[in-house]
Amino acid sequence: MYKYDAVDKTIVADRVEQFRGQVSRHLAGELSATDLAPLRLRNGLYMQIHAHMLRVSIPYGLVSSEQMRALAQVSRQYDKGYGHFTTRQNIQFNWPELADVPDILQDLSNVEMHAIQTSGNCIRNISSDHYAGVATDEIIDPRPYCEIIRQWSTLHPEFYWLPRKFKIAVTGATEDRAAVKFHDIGLEVVVNDTKQVGFRVYVGGGLGRTPVIGKVIKEFLPREDILSYCEAILRVYNLHGRRDNKYKARIKILVNAMGIDDFRDEVEAEWSHFKDGELKLHDIDFETMQAFFPKPAYDNLNSGDDRVAKWRDLDSRFKAWYDNNTVEHIQPGYRIVNISLKEHGVAPGDATDAQMDAIASIAEQYSFAEIRVTHEQNLVLADIREQDLLEVWKALDAERLATPNIGSVNDMICCPGLDFCSLANASSISVAKQINEKFNDFDELYDIGEVKLKMSGCMNACGHHHVGHIGILGVDKKGEEWYQLTVGGDATNNAALGTHLGKAIAKDRVGDAIGDILDVYKDIRTGDERLLDTFRRVGIDPFKEKVYAEDS
Amino acid sequence: MSTTKTVANRAIKARAKGTPDRIQKDIINANAIVDKKIVKNSIHHVAETEELSVADLPQGDISVPMNLWLDHKAELKKRGGIVAVQIAADEFPEDFSEEYAEISSIVLPMVSHVDGRSYSHAYKLRTRFNYDKEIRAIGDVKYDQLGFLTRSGCNAFELPEGENIETALKAFTEMSDVYQPSTDGGALIFSRRRAIH
Repeated sequence: MYKYDAVDKTIVADRVEQFRGQVSRHLAGELSATDLAPLRLRNGLYMQIHAHMLRVSIPYGLVSSEQMRALAQVSRQYDKGYGHFTTRQNIQFNWPELADVPDILQDLSNVEMHAIQTSGNCIRNISSDHYAGVATDEIIDPRPYCEIIRQWSTLHPEFYWLPRKFKIAVTGATEDRAAVKFHDIGLEVVVNDTKQVGFRVYVGGGLGRTPVIGKVIKEFLPREDILSYCEAILRVYNLHGRRDNKYKARIKILVNAMGIDDFRDEVEAEWSHFKDGELKLHDIDFETMQAFFPKPAYDNLNSGDDRVAKWRDLDSRFKAWYDNNTVEHIQPGYRIVNISLKEHGVAPGDATDAQMDAIASIAEQYSFAEIRVTHEQNLVLADIREQDLLEVWKALDAERLATPNIGSVNDMICCPGLDFCSLANASSISVAKQINEKFNDFDELYDIGEVKLKMSGCMNACGHHHVGHIGILGVDKKGEEWYQLTVGGDATNNAALGTHLGKAIAKDRVGDAIGDILDVYKDIRTGDERLLDTFRRVGIDPFKEKVYAEDS
Repeated sequence: MSTTKTVANRAIKARAKGTPDRIQKDIINANAIVDKKIVKNSIHHVAETEELSVADLPQGDISVPMNLWLDHKAELKKRGGIVAVQIAADEFPEDFSEEYAEISSIVLPMVSHVDGRSYSHAYKLRTRFNYDKEIRAIGDVKYDQLGFLTRSGCNAFELPEGENIETALKAFTEMSDVYQPSTDGGALIFSRRRAIH
């Protein structure tokens, strides 16, 4: 993975001291809470219902064993012994004290981590494919591009006070696991007829209150131009994006208001001033960066392992885990292992300090000391030898990290909701528990198959409900928590927003409503159809009729 | 008197005067920071109002809204002392490209420090129009904005009443390295690494 050089170290160290100064000026009464707010946000520090929340950056979701141990230590020393992995592949701590935060950031800087631009109206963490480098459908490893964009966008002086937050994602594979069409800028790798590497550029996608699928602004952007083109988009957005209404300030609103063609013209005109200037990248820049993400020192193995095959026959729990939580690897004799952070009864995405330490050790022993965070709030051990799968499973199982539910209804994406978040209208975690309890029969879960269930506690959509195969949105109705359901959303290549099912549902009926939707699916599915496929075939009506049958 | 009301490309983006994007009251500060040093300030920044006329302008060094400059340039040039010109956040530097040779210094009034448009204005003025005279940020400009405003092209600042201007000087030395080019001579990190390889 990327290792800091002297420049990175200097910038992060200076930044820690800068924030220490801001906090001490605040505590001394020289910097008001109002003026501190945007500064602390740009260091990942929010004020939530009960306490501050610190969001630490995990660039494109890649974290080393050493870093994972440091995160565990932060949770032990400064928090309540757990962390929450987020849909932006970051981690959040829910209980730090303001006065401790400079020390936390200093501790993190020792392992080359920071919280820069994890919040605030600026360029946020660059997100990517959690299977980067090991996916069987990969065209180009996206990580070097992510790191290049990360460095360029870090403390960019001109784009630090944008109209609203700005998220960039990069995918290098055929299947889009990075949801590039739901980002302010999405880069999708394209290799053209002359073998030149570049990107199809999407702009103006996003979820939130106004979900929008990104539009193509450029069919082919040569890779050497990614920084200058991003800069042109950002400058047009910085100058023209709305600042009078925060709900209309994202770039998607600007793109829709101008129309993609006029927006493109404006960007191209801006770009023409400096496209061949100092932001142009050279081949050596990509090669140098790619060298930080080498192919690991894989053993020369054949695919398949007799002992694992035997255990799959003998132990149904191991088989369930193998079938659901592991994925084919590009290297013969290896598999990708997903670590489920969706254990029954635990808030989705949460991990304790002990679990983080254990994961660090397992990764060190079996997976080249690296872990990835997924935007579905799970973790990945990318390079596990098939012959080690049984040991890895046992080690994960001992830490309650082997729940065999990846991709199932129980593998929910869920925001912190009303339990922590000051924006939320409704709780998410308790509804997640309700659904978990309803679907506790794993055979039934496997029979239902892949269902991306995504839940947000308010219309800001941190839980990405618009793109869930089933989406759940918490709303406030006269002080009561109600839930709106959607069906048929998709964050991948055939990007789609979910279709509204009907009027909001009472909290205690959400689990039953999900059950109704899945019953309809089981009744009318054909062949290997997933819920999403069935929905695409039959539309919303059969689901609607069943869920609201009692009302009519 | 002939006015220069119709600048070629100005009509496209002409906006009402006195919008919330402009400073609403005159700004007069005792001190300023110029080229990282504290100096006595003499400039009276005149707010843009519907009624603003050349006859009402105060004596001495002033900065005036761009609209006033465009409409009364000849008269303003006859005044003694400094006549700086303001470019508001919702105006566009490219609309005034013919003016810069005659404007002795530019003022960027910031109504809110969380509004980043003036950073792009400063950047464009320095890089695209090669404006090499003073660019001064005023209004809601405090310690924690000075570093990036400097990188983007501002070399003069006035802080609001009550801000500790001596303390704010530390802002210029907080960050000792950068990843990206701007107007301050910083180079793209990858070109620096390229030079090592």
